[in-house]
Amino acid sequence: MASSGADHAVWLRGIEKQFPGVIACAGADLRVRPGTIHALLGENGAGKTTMVNVLAGVYRPDGGEVWVNGQQRFFHSPADAIAAGVGMVYQEFRLVPNLTVAENIVLGSAPGLLRTNEIEERVAELSAAYGMAADPTRPVWQLSMGERQRVEILKSLWRNASVLVMDEPTAVLTPGEAAELGATLRAMAEEGRSVIYISHKLDQVVAFCDEATVLRQGKTAATVDNLQDVDLTSLAEMMVGTSGGGYVDRPPPRDRGPEVLSLQNISALNDRGLPALADINMTVHSGEIVGIVGVSGNGQKELAEVITGLRRPAQGRVAVNGQDVTRASPGDRYGLGLAYVPEDRLGVGLAPKMSVVDNSVVRSYKSQRRGLLLVMDRCVKFCQTLVERFGVRVGRLNDPIAGLSGGNLQRLLLGRELAEQPAVLVAAQPTRGLDVQGVAAIQSHLVEQRANGVGVLLISEDLDELQALSDVLLVMYEGRVVGEYPPDVTPRTILGSAMAGNPPT
Amino acid sequence: MMRPVLIRRERVVPATQAVAFVVGIATALVLGLILLWTSGHSPAEVYERMFDAAFMGTDSLARTLERATPLALTGLAVAVAGSMGLWNIGAEGQMMAGATIAAGVAMGADGLSGPLLIALMVVSGVAGGMVLMLGPALARSHLGVSEIITTLMLVYVAIRVVEWLETGPWKDPESFGFAVIEPVPEQASLPGLFGRAHIGTLIALGLLLVFSLAVSRTAWGYELRLAGSSPNTARYAGISLRRKVLTALLLSGGIAGLAGAVQLTGSATRLESGLSNGYGFAGIIVAALALMRPSGVVVAAFVFGAVQVGGQSIQTLGVSSAISDILQAMILFAALVAAVFFNYRIRWRGPAGRESSDDEQAEAGDDALTMEGV
Repeated sequence: MASSGADHAVWLRGIEKQFPGVIACAGADLRVRPGTIHALLGENGAGKTTMVNVLAGVYRPDGGEVWVNGQQRFFHSPADAIAAGVGMVYQEFRLVPNLTVAENIVLGSAPGLLRTNEIEERVAELSAAYGMAADPTRPVWQLSMGERQRVEILKSLWRNASVLVMDEPTAVLTPGEAAELGATLRAMAEEGRSVIYISHKLDQVVAFCDEATVLRQGKTAATVDNLQDVDLTSLAEMMVGTSGGGYVDRPPPRDRGPEVLSLQNISALNDRGLPALADINMTVHSGEIVGIVGVSGNGQKELAEVITGLRRPAQGRVAVNGQDVTRASPGDRYGLGLAYVPEDRLGVGLAPKMSVVDNSVVRSYKSQRRGLLLVMDRCVKFCQTLVERFGVRVGRLNDPIAGLSGGNLQRLLLGRELAEQPAVLVAAQPTRGLDVQGVAAIQSHLVEQRANGVGVLLISEDLDELQALSDVLLVMYEGRVVGEYPPDVTPRTILGSAMAGNPPT
Repeated sequence: MMRPVLIRRERVVPATQAVAFVVGIATALVLGLILLWTSGHSPAEVYERMFDAAFMGTDSLARTLERATPLALTGLAVAVAGSMGLWNIGAEGQMMAGATIAAGVAMGADGLSGPLLIALMVVSGVAGGMVLMLGPALARSHLGVSEIITTLMLVYVAIRVVEWLETGPWKDPESFGFAVIEPVPEQASLPGLFGRAHIGTLIALGLLLVFSLAVSRTAWGYELRLAGSSPNTARYAGISLRRKVLTALLLSGGIAGLAGAVQLTGSATRLESGLSNGYGFAGIIVAALALMRPSGVVVAAFVFGAVQVGGQSIQTLGVSSAISDILQAMILFAALVAAVFFNYRIRWRGPAGRESSDDEQAEAGDDALTMEGV
C-alpha cells in the first residue's frame, strides 16, 4: 500500500466520525483517481454523506486522514476545502434566488471590482466550454431545477475545483437533463477533474461512472475499479449486502392468523410531488413477519408513512384489523392496534429535548389522566415498567433523552409501541446504526411479537436481517412491489435482480 | 488560535443560572460605572438611588410591583406562544385591544357594582386580546403566514383605533376640549394592596401559577410541550398541530388583553393611547429572559420592573434620561446574555485535533441559539 495519497485525487483514509447515539463512519476509506467519475454507494445511514462532508470541510473527523491531490489536509471550514479544490453540489441547492446566474457563480469569490459585463462574459464562456446552457443574466428563481444544478456545477468550476462532489444529482432532473448531466461530468473527467457521484439509481451509476466504493455501516464494504465489469444485480447486492446481521434464530414457520393489515391499490406522492407509490397491494397476517426488500428510495419511506397515517395516499385503501383507516389520524390508527417504529427515531418517533418519562407516554398519555390532570406518578410507573421490561439503560428518568445511545433510544421506542399489545407493527429500519447487542435485542423483540400473534411489517436494508426474520419477502422497485419470494429458498441473485428492477419471471 | 464555541448544556443546572445572572448584572453595573463616570456622575450615588427607589420601603417596592405586573402578564403572553416556537410580537396591540373593549364595557355598564364590573371588564379584556389575535392565529395555523409580521402590524392598528376613539366617538364632552376619553367609573378600580401596588399583581401571579401547572401537569400541557419541541413527533402521536398553534396564539393574545384590562382598572384612570406604554414590547424581553418559562417570567418581570423604577428615579439626580435608558438597556442586555449561559457553555477550541460532534453542531448553527435558546 502506498504510504501517501499522491496517486489519488482524493484519499479519505480510515475516517471515523461519531454523532450522539450514532456511529456514522467507523474507519471508512475512499480513493478516487484523477480524471474519473467515482460512484459512492451505500444505503441511507451507511456514512456516504458524512464522508463527503468530511471532504468538504463541514465535519471534522474523529479519526483518519484527508488527502486531496497528494497532500494531507486539515480542513477547518468549507472555505478551506474549496480553496483546496473540493466543490460540493448538495441536493438542496445553495443559491440566492434573487441574484443572477453570474452573480451566484462569483458569489464569495468575486474579484475586488465587480464588472458585470466582464463576469457575465466569462461565465458564458465557462458554460459553453462544458456544454451547459446557462444564461448568465437571468435571476436564479426563474430557472428549472436542472438549470439550477448547472449553476451549482459552474460555481465549482469557477473556483477551479479539481474534485466535484454531487449528492443525488439526478433526483431533481428529468431523464433528458440527467443524460446531459452525464455528458457534462464526462467532459470534466476528461480534463483530469474527478467527480464523486452519490446515487441510489444504479442504472445511472453504471452508465455514468468509472469506479465505485460501497459503504456499509460506516465502513468500506467493497470497491469496484471498473464498473463496466459488474452488472446491476451484483451492484444491488453489494449495496444492501450482508451484515452478518441475523442474530436471532430463524423462528419456525407458523400458521398464519387472520389478516391484520391490508393495502389495496395504494398510490402516493413523495414530498416533491412526484409519484412514490404505484398500485400497492399487500397484506400482513397475524403472527407473520413480512419483509420489504429494496434499495432505499424506492418508496419504502412513503409506504410506512401511508400505512401509519403520516402521508395521505392519492388513492387506495388501508385497513387495520379489517377496519378502514384510510382517513384516520396517526393517533387513531395506534388506538386501533397499529404500532409504528419510524425510520427517523429522533425526529419522528421521539422528542429529543423531552424527558424519558415524557417520551414513554407519547402513545398513552391520554390514559394517564385524572380529570384534566396528567397523573405524574402513573406516567413514571409506566416509564419504569417499560425501561425494565425492555432493558433500556437510562440515567435519570427526568433528563432529556438526547443523551441516550442509539440502542437505548430504539429499545425505549419499540417498548413504548409494544406496550399496549398492538395487532400490527410497522418497523422501518429498526436496527440501523445500532451496535451488536442492540441489533440482537431489537430482532428478538420482533420475533417474540410474531410469536405473540402480532403482524410485523419489517422494512429494512439489511438482507441478512430480512432473510433471517421474515416469513415472506416483498421486493420494492420504483414504488411498486415487483416480486414476492420465500426468504429461505430464494438465492441472493434473484433478490438482487428484482431490486434492480428486473424480477426474474 | 483558540476561539470560543457555544455548546448546549446537556443538563440545565439551576445553580449555574443564578451564578450567570449575578455575574451578568455585576458586569453591567461595572460597565455602567464607566458610563456614569465619563458623563460626570457619581456612580455610588446613582446606584444607591436606583436601589433605594426600587426596593427600599413599601412605597418603592409597591412601585416596582406596579411596573412588574403588566410586564409579567405580557411576558407570560409571549412565553405561551414561545413554548410552541411562536413569536407573539404584538402583545402591545393586544393589550390595547383588551383595554379598549374593557373600557367600552365600563361605559355601557357603569351602573354595576364594583366587583361585578371589574370581573366583566377583565373578561372582556381577554376577549379583546383574542379578537385582535384571531386573524394572525388563523393565518398562521391554516395558511402558514408568519405571526411575527401580522401581530406586529396590528399593534399600530390597535393604537390608532384608540387615538381615533380619543378624538372622535369616545371623546369626553367634559374634557374642556382635550382629546381624552372619560375616566373609568370609580368603582371599577382594582383594590389596592399597599402603596401603588394593586391586586393585579396577585392576578398575574395566580395566572403564572395556573399556566405553569397546566403545562407541566395536564395532558393539554403535555401536548403543547410535545408539539413545541418536536412537531413531527406530535403529528405521529395524533396531535393536531393546527389546533395547538391556534390555541397557543389565542391564549397568548388573551393574556395580553388581560394585561390591558388590569392596567386599565389597576393603574390608569382612563383609556388612552399611551396606556400600553411599551409593556407589550418589553414582554418579549421578559419572556426571552425567562427562557419562555413561567417561573422565569416572575423573576424577569420583577427585575425589569425594578430597573425601570430605578432608572427613572435617577433622573432626579440630574442624570439625563438618555443615560438612564442606556443604563437600563445595559442591565437588561447583560441579563439576556447571562440567560444564554443557562443553556449553553463556552468551550475554547484550538485549531486542530479531535473534537466532539456537538462542537460542530453548535458551530454549524443546528443547535445554536434558536427560538427556545433566547
